[in-house]
Amino acid sequence: MSFDGYKATVKEGDTVVLYLTISQVYSIKAQEKTINKKGIEVESVFQTPYGALKCAELVGKTYGSKVSLSKGWGYILQPTPELWTLTLSHRTQIIYTPDISMIIFQLELCPGSIVVESGTGSGSLSHAFIRAVKPHGHLYTFDFHEVRSEIARQEFDDHGLGQYVTVCHKDVCENGFGENLNGIVDAVFLDLPHPWLAVPHAVKALKESGGRICSFSPCIEQVQKTCLELTRLGFQEIQTMEVLQTQYNVQTKHIPVKDLDFLKMAKSENKSDGAEKKESEVAKFLTAIPPMQQPGHTGYLTFASLYPIWSRKLGISIDENETD
Amino acid sequence: MEIESNEFEIKAGDFAIVQRQGYTKLHKLKPHGNMLIGKFNVEMDNVIGQRYFDTFQMKNSPENKKMFILEKVEDSTNATDALNIEKSGTDNRNITSQGDTQSLTKEDIDKLQDSELNSNAIIYELVNNSKTFNMKTGYSQEKYIRKKEKKYFEYLQLRKPTIRLLTNMFYRQDPVKTLGIRIDDLSQILTYANIHSEGNHLLYDSGTSGLMMAAIMNAIGARTSGTLIHMHPGNQCQKNAFVAMQFPEEQKVRCLNVNLYSVIRCFYQDTAKEENYEPTRKRQKTEDPSSASTTKVEEEAPKQPQWQLENEKACRILKTKCDSLVVTSKEHPVNLVKELLPFLNGGRQLVVFSLTREPLQDLFLYLKSRLDIVAIKLSNNFMRYYQVLPERTHPEVNMNSGGFILSAVKLNC
Ligand SMILES: C[S@@+](CC[C@H](N)C(=O)[O-])C[C@H]1O[C@@H](n2cnc3c(N)ncnc32)[C@H](O)[C@@H]1O
Repeated sequence: MSFDGYKATVKEGDTVVLYLTISQVYSIKAQEKTINKKGIEVESVFQTPYGALKCAELVGKTYGSKVSLSKGWGYILQPTPELWTLTLSHRTQIIYTPDISMIIFQLELCPGSIVVESGTGSGSLSHAFIRAVKPHGHLYTFDFHEVRSEIARQEFDDHGLGQYVTVCHKDVCENGFGENLNGIVDAVFLDLPHPWLAVPHAVKALKESGGRICSFSPCIEQVQKTCLELTRLGFQEIQTMEVLQTQYNVQTKHIPVKDLDFLKMAKSENKSDGAEKKESEVAKFLTAIPPMQQPGHTGYLTFASLYPIWSRKLGISIDENETD
Repeated sequence: MEIESNEFEIKAGDFAIVQRQGYTKLHKLKPHGNMLIGKFNVEMDNVIGQRYFDTFQMKNSPENKKMFILEKVEDSTNATDALNIEKSGTDNRNITSQGDTQSLTKEDIDKLQDSELNSNAIIYELVNNSKTFNMKTGYSQEKYIRKKEKKYFEYLQLRKPTIRLLTNMFYRQDPVKTLGIRIDDLSQILTYANIHSEGNHLLYDSGTSGLMMAAIMNAIGARTSGTLIHMHPGNQCQKNAFVAMQFPEEQKVRCLNVNLYSVIRCFYQDTAKEENYEPTRKRQKTEDPSSASTTKVEEEAPKQPQWQLENEKACRILKTKCDSLVVTSKEHPVNLVKELLPFLNGGRQLVVFSLTREPLQDLFLYLKSRLDIVAIKLSNNFMRYYQVLPERTHPEVNMNSGGFILSAVKLNC
């Protein structure tokens, strides 16, 4: 229940983020018992590279404090959507924070917005959607994979977010988002293999006063088909982009400096040890080093606006993007 | 869902984003008033009472040749009439020189424009008087028309400001005025700082024209419990973007705008208000002379001035500590962060933006040396747009580079 609102201490059943190092971050449940692979209830113990942690010991601890492990220590943090994205168990490909940030921003979500998402997948993006629209907004998330839908629903309840989200098990390309959402939605998000098939349903769901849509696709062919469909259905401000993040490691570097001046003079002219020392001088500088390898592609983000009904019929595109 | 009719009505006093092709400009509407759009002087009176997203056509004013008036477009059949263009060449082999192929002079074009601003008509003339147009490929013809259309485009729309529209507008007009914050930067500052409807958030901003405070207040939302303490270095804070958002009063008052120096002094010294008042103001003026010029001298009434009430309110929140700290500063961030970190709760996020990397490298090392900061990350983004057209999909030819973001988590120890 630890995702809704800022919390000071860990309660029984909370999902807690265990931070060891920048690349060793885990989420665990603060509870005494767990069900093991054989279906038997056992004591819940989390194994870390620095030793074991009894999950029940977390209860009552302050978020942001240190916990001892048998061979070291870690810190416990209250989960945020960003930390959750880093630690959740992948049931599908997921969307990461740089793309998520852009999606939330471009869909113009704020508390009170009604947003539709498909598919639910692993719920990485859903958590960020919920944070953006609560307390009086709502997320409707659709997936045609029954088990994924069910796990997601349990997870939202477990995280204390159930009241802000409705999880639907449905094929949105075939059946749309449902009558009950017609004309009440502010924004639609699609992460589907055939997003263009869902675009007509998005038009139905969006408010008469208009709204925003986003489609995330790894392949450019999907983008092309989606853009054609968006254009056909009268969307405006159609824009495709990609965002890639580089994380740097800041380090002080030392590099040797060569001074060859002494070579210009005969040996007898200078006292040789002085010159030798100078030759092996070191320069020190602070720098930020990108990783050796990093993702070079996540997906293309296509955004568009559906204008209010009173301006949909005019075929004048005011927002012509500057193309060369 | 019915649309509340007056929610979309354009009213005098509204801030609107006026959009004409790729061009956008923020404008405060008056019952009677003009606005310079590109090189056109446009009388805006006719938009009042109409709706946002309505399309208006710029028409030559009957009274004044140099003025344009706006007319609401009800039916666009004329506007979308396709240009009749003769068949295009297959390549550019017959085009020898790029320049001087237009036989219309600048005066001719001005005359056309003065008789009637109609981009189709003007482009028609331009095309007919171009010696090379018919030799161009279909692609270059299209490009030519698009370019001319942009110049003579006579339609515009008014939009209600949103953070997205404002961020793009500011960035296009002059990135310096918002410290170079690009949309991807802004979007990530908000997520990494975990800004949402709850909590007390703390911002120090010294130069985004109010964009940061507007974006944070927008994420905090209307009818919610979240508050923002916005610290700024001047006498008056920059708040163009905030004002443009026209948040409801209830939401506006949850943003406390306080001067950095006076709120910190208030927090640590808590001295008698009367003593503090004069010197503080003088001091602020010298800190930021540019903003002082726009300031009215506050009347010294016996009751406490507004800024002092806000200071005290902010101090009460600072004593209980905040749930996020965002710094978007012109100044070097290390000292600022050092001073502001005590106001951040344990287990909460800190986010600092800088257009250049070096100040954040220093900050990275400083934070690393502290025992109460973990998960320090320094990042920047590669962002680019794509042209998506059948058989002609490719990244946009131009791109720009964004800034750097440092994020970290403060511990409870
Ligand atoms: C890549 S995943 C989404 C990941 C999600 N955005 C996240 O961040 O965790 C795509 C999901 O779409 C679902 N899906 C595919 N086609 C669908 C359809 N026609 N209707 C509903 N869901 C669909 C799949 O079952 C899958 O779970």
